Formats: sequence, structure tokens, C-alpha cells
Amino acid sequence: MAKVTLTNVWKLYGKIEAVIDLSLECKDKEFFCLLGPSGCGKSSTLRMIAGLEEISEGEILIGDNVINEVEPKDRDIAMVFETYALYPHKTVYANMAFPLRVGKRNYSHSEIKERVQKAAKILEISELLDRYPKQLSGGQRQRVAIGRAIVREPQVFLMDEPISHLDAKLRTHMRGELKHLQKVLESTMIYVTHDQLEAMSMADRIAIMDLGLLQQVGTPDEIFNQPVNQFVAGFVGDPPMNFIDCGLEVSGDSWNLINESFKINLPPDLIEKFKKKNGDPSSRPLEVVLGVRPENFVISGEKARGEGFWGEVYVTEPLGEDMIVDVTIPNNKLKLKTSVDLDIRMGNRVWLETMKNKMHLFNRETQEAYF
Amino acid sequence: MARTELVSKAAKRKRAFWRTLMYIAIAAFFLWTTLPLLIMALSSIKEHRDAFQIPQVGDWLGALKIASFSPTFHHYTDLFTKEHFAQFILNSVIASGSASIIAVSLGSLAAYGLARGKIPGEQHLSFWILSTRMAPVVAVMVPLYSIFTGLGLLEPSRWRNLLGLILAYTTFDLPFAVWFMRSFFEDIPVELEEAAKVDGCSNLKAFRKIILPLAMPGIVAALILCLIFSWNDFIFASIFGQQAAKTLPVATSELHSTVSIEWGGILASGTLLVVPMLFLGLLVKKYLVQGMTMGAVRQ
Repeated sequence: MAKVTLTNVWKLYGKIEAVIDLSLECKDKEFFCLLGPSGCGKSSTLRMIAGLEEISEGEILIGDNVINEVEPKDRDIAMVFETYALYPHKTVYANMAFPLRVGKRNYSHSEIKERVQKAAKILEISELLDRYPKQLSGGQRQRVAIGRAIVREPQVFLMDEPISHLDAKLRTHMRGELKHLQKVLESTMIYVTHDQLEAMSMADRIAIMDLGLLQQVGTPDEIFNQPVNQFVAGFVGDPPMNFIDCGLEVSGDSWNLINESFKINLPPDLIEKFKKKNGDPSSRPLEVVLGVRPENFVISGEKARGEGFWGEVYVTEPLGEDMIVDVTIPNNKLKLKTSVDLDIRMGNRVWLETMKNKMHLFNRETQEAYF
Repeated sequence: MARTELVSKAAKRKRAFWRTLMYIAIAAFFLWTTLPLLIMALSSIKEHRDAFQIPQVGDWLGALKIASFSPTFHHYTDLFTKEHFAQFILNSVIASGSASIIAVSLGSLAAYGLARGKIPGEQHLSFWILSTRMAPVVAVMVPLYSIFTGLGLLEPSRWRNLLGLILAYTTFDLPFAVWFMRSFFEDIPVELEEAAKVDGCSNLKAFRKIILPLAMPGIVAALILCLIFSWNDFIFASIFGQQAAKTLPVATSELHSTVSIEWGGILASGTLLVVPMLFLGLLVKKYLVQGMTMGAVRQ
């Protein structure tokens, strides 16, 4: 196993910049997720690490070796494709044995058999070894594809949305299985997905990309609780974070967030946080965006304190234990997450307060986070 | 019940009418295409006078006489004992077989390259390759004749003339093979190749181990179609094959003398020409309909 390092990597398709000046380090034995919407450059990045795309500029290292000019077959990697890419004319056994048969190292027949059977046992596909890919269900094919990757002990596993085509139930199951497998094999894994839930639940660290640019690298906790900009804040979390345009008014030690619905006084610790990161704001009001996650509102039927605002319930979506409540306020619509026990109906007027220690504040122009 | 009532009787009748018309058209086409072959095959095992027992106009039952004769195979044996047909068949097999194998071997590499589309101007290149097949055969005949004369391929020597024929067939089979196989290669998902490379294959090994076996139905179909084209050729064979490398179609055309036409021999030879191609035709059908990706990737 080895670490993977990307230094100032670019990928250009003609004039289109798919990956822009990307520098990353995936540590040894780490489960590393590349997360982003489609077209963000995450798959191009993975394919450059695999050697299936040329690196336009920059360097990629596996371990301590620069692999820019190394053929895929000599990179000592294993990859699971979004479409599984099983060889249709080979049985499951032959599919899984293929990397051992064509690779640089010569394995004896008995060794190949042993390794394939071991991998099949881990993935619970031992009884499918004689079948052909067309005789398997989607979930089984996906296991075979993973099996083909784990029969060797490669330096790095690369996974390109391996479970995005499974049905929801199987996907949830496989998330756990994959994470367990990665820990058991003690492997370095680079995992590409557009599903923030997958990334949050499986990764040790996540790199979020958008439009070819790296937005933030961090643990799931850092990504969720300290997003560096509005894109990261909005991409992670379900339902996504609510953004409310407002002004920041500073007069002495009193800092207030103001718009047509509310005036929220910032507590001293948030002011400290703001100052620490951004210095003193000028005295004139700043154009800011308040970010509040759906679960960080307190809802009540009547006006509790001064620092909240009224909204009207647009629709409710009960989800068993939780309930998603859409609330309209002037110029905006918010999504709230609350307990299903609350008696809230369409058309009700509700009083909303934000949990101040969970608030995020962004620069409206640059979309960078103030805190 | 409710549904059948919804379809009116008139509509039903109309549908039945068109259906019947369609079957009549198919039957007519079937007879039109197969009767000549049947008559040829039957007449080839008849004595001359049986073969020419043509019923009077209007005597429809007389047509049944086609089946009343005592079979004889002497037309066939004559072809081999009196006319050296074994040699001509061999010439046909060598010329069409070699040309098809060359066309498919070179063509599969070219088709694969074009299908993967990493060649600049690939669209123009493929169209140019196809366009060479659009020219009428006679258009290339004169220049080819001059080139072949220069190369000494038209000297009266069996092997030289055969080589000329193989070259001529290849020029026409190759563009077809490239164009035909290209779509087969295009249907093979690129991921399979990428997976093979990541698994440890070089480019050539990935082609040999993964792509080639999957494209095999297309390659076999192309091979058979090239074989059929070259086997059936008359014009190249009559000019470049000369006397030394006479092929079956040319030999058949020469089965007449100044005083008589050897109908029996011509029909027998015609049957010999058609039967192998008939079987190859059935074979190619099997390969063409065979599914290719077979669950390789999610569909």
C-alpha cells in the first residue's frame, strides 16, 4: 500500500479545463473520497491516477515514484468501474483470475485458485464462480468487479462510482461492506462519487471539487461543520443548507444580521471567530449570506423571543421519525428538519429561531465563509 | 371481451386483408428468388432431354413433370474427369480465401483504430476508405491492368496470376472489411479495454485477450462476406486470372464450344458455385444476430 500525491495537476481537453491546478495527498491506508457534481473533474482526476487519461500538466506520485509516464499496467493499481466492465466472454472465476494471469508477476495455478476463492469468500460470491456476467444481477456483478480488484494486492484501489447504479437498499448495504473491506484489507482507496451521503459515511477524508477546482479537503466532520464556502456548505447535507441574504451591521460591539424578516444579534464568540479569520469589518453594513442547516432551527407556534421570524408552512414531508417542513419567508423558501411529533400543517404560521452556534456566514460576492 | 368489441369488424377485416397481401408478396418473392436455384440444381442431375421437357403454355399440371426423371450425376463427374474442374475450384478457393484472410486481418486492425477514434481526421479517413468501394469495378480495371503488367503478374503463370487475383480481390475486400467491422468494434465498451489495461495488459494484449474474442462474430461475418464477394467474382477473374489461374465462374462461362452449349455441365458447375455460398450465408446469419456485449456492462 502507498500514498498518492498530486502536485499542481491539470487536465485539459482542448481548451476546456477539466481539472485546474489540483494538489492533493491521499495518505497510506486512507479511504479518500473525491466528491462533486457531474463534470467537476473528479472522474478525470481518478482516470489520470489510473493512467487512462494523460496528465496535461503537473505530477502524480504513487508512493515516491512519479507515474506520469508509467503505463497503467505498470502502476500497480486496481480499479472498479461505474459500469463494472466485466469481461462478458469469461466466467466469474476467469474474470477474477484475469489480473493474476496477465500481470507482471507469475502466479501458479494453485495460487490463482486460492486467491480467487479467498476473494470470492470475502464477497460471498463463491457459488457464482462458474457463471457468466450476463447471468448475474447488478449487485452480483458489482461484487465480481470488486473481487477482480482485490485478488491482487495493489498499491491503490481506485473506485469510480462503483455503487451508484444499485438500488437504494443494496447501496446502503454496500456502503458498509466497502468501508469494512477497506479497513480489513488495510488498503489505500480513492473513491469517486457524486453522492455526498456515500462520501460522508465512508471516507476518512473528502476532497470536494467543482468546475475543475478543488474546494475543500477535510474529514467528513470538517466538511460538514466548517465548510469553506457556500458551494461546499450547499453540497453536503440532505436537505441542503438554507441560504438567506442579509446585511451585517456593525456598531461597536453589537453585530447584527438584518433583513426584512429578522434582526439577529451575533454572540461574542461568533464575533471573535469572524475577527480571527477576517479581521475587523468596515463600519458600513456588509452584504452577507446566512447559512443555516435544516436541523438547526427551533420551530414554535408562537413568538418565543425577539430574535426570530415568522414564516408560513408551504408543505410538510413526514419521513417516519423526522419531518421536512418547507417554510416561506419574504423572498425565500426554507427547508427545515424537525420531529414528526410537532403538530404543523400546511398554511400554519410558525416562529423560527436559528441555533446561533450552528450558523454559517458567507461573503455574498466571493461566497467564501466568514465562519 | 371489452377490448375485442372495441376493435370493429371492419378494422379487423382490413388488417386481415393487408396481412394476406403481405404473405402473398413474401411467397412471390420467395419463389422468384429460389425457383431458379431449384431448377438449376434439379436440372444438373437430369439427362439433357429430361431437362428440356418444358410444358405447353397453359398446361399448369405439366410443371409437376419437373420432378419426374431418373437422376444422373454424370454432368458432375464429367466436370472433374474431362474439364479439370478440381484445379479451377482450387484456384477459386486459393484466390478468394487468401484475399479474405488478408482483408480481414489488416481490416480488423484498421477498423479497431478507427472505431476508437483517436486518429485525427478519422471521419474523413473512414469515408475515404468506404468511397474506394463505391467506384465501379471497370473503373479500376485499366489502371490495375497496367500496374499488374508492370509487376509481371499477367505473365502466363498460375501462381503469378493467382497473386494478381488475390491483390485485386483484396483491394475490394479490404475497404468493405474495415467499414463493416468498425461498427462491431464500436459496440464493444471502452471500459473493457481500460479494465484490461489496469489489470495488467499492454495495448496489444488487451486487444488480443479482450477485444478480439468479443469482436469475433463481426470478424467471422466479415470474412464470410468477403469470401462470398470474391468467390462470385467474374470480371477480375476473367481478366487477371487468365487461362493459368482460371476460377470456377470463368470456367463455367467457357463450357461451350462453337457448335454446342454444355447445359448439363453449366448447371452442375453453377450448383457447385452456389451450394458452398448458401451454407456460408446461413453461417453468417448466425454470427450477425449473435448478441455481442452479453452483459459486460450495466445496460
